[in-house]
Amino acid sequence: MLRLFASTLALVCLLPFAATAHGPSRQKVTESVEINAPADKVWAVVGNFQDMGWHPAFKKTEGKGGNDVGATRVLTLEGGGQIFEKLTKYNAEGKTLSYEITEVDVKLVPVTNYSAHLTVTPDGDKSKVEWKSAFYRGYVNNDPPPELSDEAAVKAITGVFQSGLAALKKKLEGG
Amino acid sequence: MPARHEAGKARGVQGCKARHLAAALLVCCVLVSPAAAHAEPAKAAREAFVTNQTGDSLSIVDLAAQTSAPAITIGGKPAGVAVSPDGAFAYLTSPESKELVVFDIAARRIASRFAVGQGPLGIAVHPAGDRVFVADWYEHKLYAVDPAKGRILGSVEVGKSPSGVAVTADGARIVTADRDSNEISLIDAATFARTGHVTVGERPFGVTVDRAGKRAYTANVGSDDVSVVDLATGKVAGTVKVGRRPYAVALAAGKGFVTDQYGGTVTVFDLETLTVIKTIEVGEYPEGIEADPTGEAVYVACWEANTLERIDTATLEVTARIPVGDGPRAFGQFLR
Repeated sequence: MLRLFASTLALVCLLPFAATAHGPSRQKVTESVEINAPADKVWAVVGNFQDMGWHPAFKKTEGKGGNDVGATRVLTLEGGGQIFEKLTKYNAEGKTLSYEITEVDVKLVPVTNYSAHLTVTPDGDKSKVEWKSAFYRGYVNNDPPPELSDEAAVKAITGVFQSGLAALKKKLEGG
Repeated sequence: MPARHEAGKARGVQGCKARHLAAALLVCCVLVSPAAAHAEPAKAAREAFVTNQTGDSLSIVDLAAQTSAPAITIGGKPAGVAVSPDGAFAYLTSPESKELVVFDIAARRIASRFAVGQGPLGIAVHPAGDRVFVADWYEHKLYAVDPAKGRILGSVEVGKSPSGVAVTADGARIVTADRDSNEISLIDAATFARTGHVTVGERPFGVTVDRAGKRAYTANVGSDDVSVVDLATGKVAGTVKVGRRPYAVALAAGKGFVTDQYGGTVTVFDLETLTVIKTIEVGEYPEGIEADPTGEAVYVACWEANTLERIDTATLEVTARIPVGDGPRAFGQFLR
């Protein structure tokens, strides 16, 4: 039983890598927004890794480890489905954090090997929020189907970033 | 990456067995001295040819002025690069269009382009300059191509998803990093036959051979380390733990420089002791890295930061951040 568990665990550990074996072209999406609010106030919202409530796509954030490197969270989407993420860098002074998706169904978000950085830069009484990401498309082999192509991946992430930053701006400038 | 050798350091003593130290030292001194006495000092590289995969272009960087000219459109999302030994051509791989692109450096334009395999990525030039080797990610092969005629000369089966390619300075041997079978392949350049393979760390991506052709260094994306392979014995001589998702290795001034993609750092280690000396913060997603022929600097392409950065190999500080096109990879030998 224990051996079966161990071998299953080993197999599971291998899976993410098998799933992230990729072809040659990594994609990137960068989006930013100016917010009419001080950087400290903006960071108090986006700098909390355990609450993605500012983004309209996510219904619930559950996680552990706070804002320590290695902390994890599970995002539940409004339409159902979950994204598993891990915090990889956190710099409160520099107001920047980095995280990765550790597990997601490509039917939900058509990307693999996804990592992202969020940075808040003060600009007087205002702030700039920049969201940068790097990822591969959902289909790991050559000649992908359209729904798992580079274009589909870039479109999906661009949509997530734009809607999130717009909501963040509204929330902070409104309140 | 044919000439990704260790730059700026006399070689020859390394590898001599202690048992025959006296005799070996004598032999080594005899071998090294004439070259050292007559060798002209290596000249610094003047230009870098940086493939911008996201921007679908090539940036040509003036290394003295530390500026880059407006990027030139290439097509097919270029990633791999190898400059010919005479400095006349930059050979680029475009994985999306499945092509080898021949860039005429003097004319500053594409001279020709032709189809090679299903997933051309890693690339290296034979020191004789007459053959280019292209690793095919999807077909698990290494192609030999005549770049002047645009003709495929042959192919050899290697491990799964070969990525990095290196050729020894004497032109005798080719090494590929076979990412998905966790090994390097050794190929005889004359017969173009696979003569052996060595198991390394998990998911080796870039591979670099030292100037003496004694050791190969693989950056292992999966196990976050570098494997040091003794090419004579076909055994792993050591392993160096580095930052997250290492991509490639450069050798200069007795040190190894490793790009840690996820770490946003370059890990520096001592080539003799295989211990880490320093971790240098660079732009986000550092990828392609190559040593200047003088050994005084290494140049690093940072994929997310859109920069080519210069590291001084003595002070181990970043001394320049030169803007290039979007998504630079510069996977291979990109200096001349």
